Amino acid sequence: MLRKKSRKPDRIGRMPSKIVLEVNNLTKVFDGGFSFRKMKRNEPTLAVYKVSFKIHEGEIVGLLGPNGAGKTTTIQMLLGTTAETAGTIKYFGKNVKKNRPELMQQVNYSSAYAKLPWLTVFENLMVFAKLYQVEKPEERIEMLLSEFGMSEYKHKIANALSAGQLTRVLLAKAFINFPRILLLDEPTASLDPDIADSVRKFLLKQQQKYGVAMLFTSHNMAEVAEVCDRVIFLRKGKIVAEDTPDGLAKTVKNCTLRLWVGDGLKRLKAFAQGRGYPVKVSGREAEVVIKEDEVAAFLNKLARHNIKYSKISIDKPTLEDYFIAQSGRENES
Amino acid sequence: MSLNRVKAIWWRHAYDLKHNVGRLFDTFYWPALDIVLWGMTSVYFQQKAATADIVLVLLSGLVFWQVIWRSQYEVTVNLLEELWSHNLVNVLATPLTIYEWVVAVICLGFIRMFFAIGFGLALVYWLYGVNILQVGWMMVPFVALLLMSGWYIGLVAAGVILRFGMRIEVIAWSGVSLLAPFSAIYYPVSTLPEWGQRIAAWVPASYVFEGMRVVLSRGQIDQAMLLKSLGLTVIYLVLGLGFFWLMYQQRRKLGVSSLE
Repeated sequence: MLRKKSRKPDRIGRMPSKIVLEVNNLTKVFDGGFSFRKMKRNEPTLAVYKVSFKIHEGEIVGLLGPNGAGKTTTIQMLLGTTAETAGTIKYFGKNVKKNRPELMQQVNYSSAYAKLPWLTVFENLMVFAKLYQVEKPEERIEMLLSEFGMSEYKHKIANALSAGQLTRVLLAKAFINFPRILLLDEPTASLDPDIADSVRKFLLKQQQKYGVAMLFTSHNMAEVAEVCDRVIFLRKGKIVAEDTPDGLAKTVKNCTLRLWVGDGLKRLKAFAQGRGYPVKVSGREAEVVIKEDEVAAFLNKLARHNIKYSKISIDKPTLEDYFIAQSGRENES
Repeated sequence: MSLNRVKAIWWRHAYDLKHNVGRLFDTFYWPALDIVLWGMTSVYFQQKAATADIVLVLLSGLVFWQVIWRSQYEVTVNLLEELWSHNLVNVLATPLTIYEWVVAVICLGFIRMFFAIGFGLALVYWLYGVNILQVGWMMVPFVALLLMSGWYIGLVAAGVILRFGMRIEVIAWSGVSLLAPFSAIYYPVSTLPEWGQRIAAWVPASYVFEGMRVVLSRGQIDQAMLLKSLGLTVIYLVLGLGFFWLMYQQRRKLGVSSLE
């Protein structure tokens, strides 16, 4: 399996690399507009607030957060299709406001929610190849269609493709201009697991071979953990955490302790509940949610209470647990 | 047969009517437009029934109105096509600038207009034996002015669609028609009531069609009309570009993706 390389000493085999994207205090407030029904202005919505981050050459950064966290708005601002209320965006050290056509030549984008016109796959890609002034566009299109397993659909109308096929064409579009940075809004949504896996492999290959940087949103936490070097977590438009996927997962203190109990299942349940640990029993299996640093003490106490178990496993917290914990905090607030 | 299910469909369309201004607009706009346009033409015919070149006047009006219609249609429908196919963000996320997009659709309209007009002229000749080209090069400045009129109308309509979205897409077909009664396509401005004549004075196409009739009847160009039309067209074109740019910036504030 193709593995991402660790960023710390030498990401993708190079020493600390150039910054390809630098975002400073990016803020977006959507004006509520005037409501003729209420005869007053609607409340403005704060979608993104003072978001700052940098992405280096060859780095894959995940942009995570629950629905409405501001991920898509951030990506749209980076593309220039949504105007920022405040803040600056720089690609390759240059301000995008002043150098947009030049900079966007080296940027591309794909979203699971985008579609393509009523043209064949080849024609659609050719239009984008021309927009990006790609040299030898036919060759490039052939290569990308082959990489994404879409060669046989070359002359098929884009609208006649399945959601998964269209996603792959949109990814081919995203790579058409040899981008140095890619903005990917849920690029593998609607793909079958095997295709999603091959897409992830392709993305990692592009990262390693050409140093393509990526900003990546996804609701598939396992995918983010596999692909991303670093994760930025947004909640209500603000960055609440920024770390490696493992680093974020480690901030979740609880783990799940599974015990296959031979004798004393009822006692275990009462004991765990008495100490405030959530416990679930299914057959002879007990599942206890417990802080990681309390596991040893808990097991000691079980032994003292003569509760015997034949098998034990500990599920360490994952990025998904972190996501759920953060989303839970949002619902509470 | 269930009346309740039939009613459900009524409700579906009643709700649609509430949100789709275009449907409501269609109900009243087109009949009103036809009544005004053809009513005025009938009044003119009644007064000038004996005019020999009436067929030429009518058919040339019909063909040259296509210049305005086609050039504005290309701007608005090309924008709508991107919206219908959810492709606008894809396109605007490329190095393409909004000015380049405008130039592209305007040029496209120019090329397609030639085909449409060529076809129209040929059809008129084949069906009615009328050769509108008999007036020669004198038509060129008028056609150019009509083409530019189509651009500014198209830019305004496209700007409105960009700002308010597809719920107002009916403007792509109906916007230009609003000017038809005041453009003196088939009848002179003097046929209009006084308030209509005041409006027509601000519509560049009215000078063009009036001027064309002068060319058809006397074989000469009325330079005053041509200059008035040119002055107004240039002003409107600049304003149209400014309006489109403003609406595009407004849409960026709301997010282009929210249009799709």
